[in-house]
Amino acid sequence: MRKNLLALIGLLLSWHPGLLSAQAQQTRKLDTTSFVVLGEGLAAGMANYGLNEVVQRKSFPAQIAQQMNTAFPQPLIQGPGLGDVLGYPPSPVSLPNYLQGSVRVFPSQPVKNDEAPTLFVFNLSVPNFRLTDSLNRRPVSPLIHNDDSQQTAINMILGFPSLILEREVPLWTQLEYARAMAPTMALVELGYFDVLAAAVAGNPGLIPDPASFRAAYATIVRGLRELQTEVVVTTIPDPMDTAYFSSPASATRLMRVPDSVIAEFYGINPQDFITPKGLSAIGNQFIRRQIEPLPPDVILRGAVGSDISNRVRALNAQISAVASEQGAVLYDLAGFFNRIRTTGLRVGSSAITGDYFGGFYSLDGYYPGATGQALIANEILGLLNRTYGESFPLLDLGPILHEDAVSKFAPARAPEESPFELQRPSSSGIEDEIALP
Amino acid sequence: MFLFGPSKRFCPVSRFFPAMAIILTCLYPMGQARGSAFSIAELGARAAGMGTAFTAVADDGSAMVYNPAGIAFQPGMRLQMDNLVVVGFFHFFPLAPPFGTVVPEKGFNGSIRPKFIAVGSMYASQQISDRLTVGFGVFAPFGLADNFTNFNDSDPPLTKYPGRFAGTRARLESIWFQPTFAYRVTPNSSFAVGPALVFTHLFLEQSILNPLDDALEFGREAANDVFPGVDKELAARSIARLLPEGRARIAGTSKSPGISAGYLYKHPRGVINLGLMYRSAVTHHLQGKASFAFNKGYTLESFVGADLLPKAFPNQKIRGAFTTPATYGFGLSTSALGNTTLSADFHFQDYRRFSSVPLNFSETEAKNPDVRTPAEERLIFDFRDSFQIAVGFEKRHGNMALRGGYLYDRTPVVDKSVGPLFPDANRHSATVGLSMRAGNKEFTVFYEAMQMVNRTTNVAGNVKQFTNGEYRNFVHLAGMGLRFILGPQ
Repeated sequence: MRKNLLALIGLLLSWHPGLLSAQAQQTRKLDTTSFVVLGEGLAAGMANYGLNEVVQRKSFPAQIAQQMNTAFPQPLIQGPGLGDVLGYPPSPVSLPNYLQGSVRVFPSQPVKNDEAPTLFVFNLSVPNFRLTDSLNRRPVSPLIHNDDSQQTAINMILGFPSLILEREVPLWTQLEYARAMAPTMALVELGYFDVLAAAVAGNPGLIPDPASFRAAYATIVRGLRELQTEVVVTTIPDPMDTAYFSSPASATRLMRVPDSVIAEFYGINPQDFITPKGLSAIGNQFIRRQIEPLPPDVILRGAVGSDISNRVRALNAQISAVASEQGAVLYDLAGFFNRIRTTGLRVGSSAITGDYFGGFYSLDGYYPGATGQALIANEILGLLNRTYGESFPLLDLGPILHEDAVSKFAPARAPEESPFELQRPSSSGIEDEIALP
Repeated sequence: MFLFGPSKRFCPVSRFFPAMAIILTCLYPMGQARGSAFSIAELGARAAGMGTAFTAVADDGSAMVYNPAGIAFQPGMRLQMDNLVVVGFFHFFPLAPPFGTVVPEKGFNGSIRPKFIAVGSMYASQQISDRLTVGFGVFAPFGLADNFTNFNDSDPPLTKYPGRFAGTRARLESIWFQPTFAYRVTPNSSFAVGPALVFTHLFLEQSILNPLDDALEFGREAANDVFPGVDKELAARSIARLLPEGRARIAGTSKSPGISAGYLYKHPRGVINLGLMYRSAVTHHLQGKASFAFNKGYTLESFVGADLLPKAFPNQKIRGAFTTPATYGFGLSTSALGNTTLSADFHFQDYRRFSSVPLNFSETEAKNPDVRTPAEERLIFDFRDSFQIAVGFEKRHGNMALRGGYLYDRTPVVDKSVGPLFPDANRHSATVGLSMRAGNKEFTVFYEAMQMVNRTTNVAGNVKQFTNGEYRNFVHLAGMGLRFILGPQ
């Protein structure tokens, strides 16, 4: 009797809510029939300065859908694509001439000239979408806004072909659209553009405050969960972990100059960050052998970067809290980006790092290339398999890496070149030559 | 723009009610069937009190049901009315409903509302001569009623009864109008035949456009329009979720011939009595109407037009057919124990005749390209034969009689057909009854407790209909009868 009582007490003491919730999670059922994604540029597949069908087909949601064997119509955009790129001058809205293109890709049909656009899309991700845009912005006629590239992007993704149909049809916000698709599964990747825009502007104050962020985020997740949709939410990557903000150490690896040169010539501290524009400026100066002060917006001081990172962590804490209270599954995308930054990964014999030209990030510096998207897809597939007891096959990264141009980016200088001799203007007007080891 | 496919699983019923059926609606049988599937055994209060072991007893007007030959032993004129009240408790616990379905604590309730319904029967007989007695009976040996509609159409899907695509409401009334001719072959035996006209009314209702079933046909047809370039089957599954739920209602009636026959032997001292009865199978050729309705505000509505589905499923005339089984009865009884009668019955019903129900729609794509109801749809049930074993007793004391009995009923409903239309199982019933006689009038009451064996189904073919699960049913039956004995007792 005493032994049985002790055993019972031991059993009770070994129980804890986490165990129960994990067990409860294991018994949750995942229906992949209708899989929708609410995101911004990252989930849209944006890379290399724009959004077009080439990169969209490699987006991590598209690759997840492929492995889950579920329909995933996307708003494929003909080249050169659309979407302004943070940190670079905006492009004018330019409508192609008739017969030149239709902007949206029409899937080919057995009967030629019978192509038509997909009536609905499941990847609802819009480049440069902020969290609140998901709730508030909707397509607005006319289809093309010559003075508003963002509205044009919203129209082409969320409002096509609705805006050109000869019927009165609803024009949905991103959340309304997702709900209208009666989703069984949804992925939410929002907030990244909010923090990227603040980081690129060098203004942490532009990052939403945690309370208002949580309220908006909870509205989105709740709006999906009340339809009994299984929801996966992702934390927001820290922009400081991306290649857009290279550390001096990363810059020296890229340009193969000692970090003392970077520090001495440009007054950059080890904790500061250099943007791609700054890397390009420094590299050009080295080639021209003419050191000059850098433009003001290419260096982000360490203190500002820390502030941004702290604010991103605060937002991620809100996402985690919303996931817990709404019964959503949380994927730590921020943690993955940090791992890429700190330790990198190996894909076969290739090292993938978070450096600019490191194989993970595309030329814009903050959106991954095809390999990076596939790595994210495998992470989420693994999470789904563990959470729901599924056995979705993971992507074979070898062929993806082989065909990924991003993995082949390399600096212009070959390693066997001798160090440059540099000149810099001196107060005496005498040119000094500095020999580099 | 879209060519949607047909939906399935409609039953044909007409909306035409013969006048007699309207007048005699008090005679319709309601509540879940007391006998096998949709058979009704309790059509006489005295017989019901004895567990319906009455084939070899048949000593009142309900003999026209249990053994028509019995009226030959009833002198003078007899008038009898019997009434039955059924209170059924039907609970369904789904095995694997859609994730997130709100399952009530006591399961989904399939009871009709109001909870009790009266079922009536009427019998009259008149002895013509020493050998010939004629009678007329109005009774309903087949009937069905259940209601799993726990929702409004606009309610969230996960709060609705999950098996609604297999059926939500059903009602069947099959009323026999049977003149009966009984001939006393010998002083101790008689033979009878009763040609009958059978009026049947059937009503069925179910939800349609199941995203896992019939809505997929729409999805396949629309796949290339809605999601070009996407795998057709994957596209169809997503499109099916963008369609509304609908309701189909089908009602119809029929008039068909039937026949009953019986033989009864009564030992002069009541040592042993033997009864044989037969009631024919009846094929009901129903004519009626089908009507359809759909929820508003579904995703595709503004894109395809609000009139697409009403045009695809127009209200229309419909025909159908189904066969109620033949009944074969054998009974023994003895009255040699003083004032006590003991009886035992075995009944067999060839329910295998109820294998499928063909439905023929009058509006088809051949006549109108917008229509998607098929020329014929066949509902498959594949019932098996059933039998009932009953034992009973009657103990008379002065002007009173006490009765009791037990009835076992083997259900004809196979696992794959268990659902909202036939939430049936094997049954055990215990009965008690009491009669009091005053002069030429006799008043009878009875009570029956019917326990259906808890039944759990798990049929692969029913997964998408969500009818697999546990069915727990219990039925209270109570009734009364009043008969007038005019002439010799």
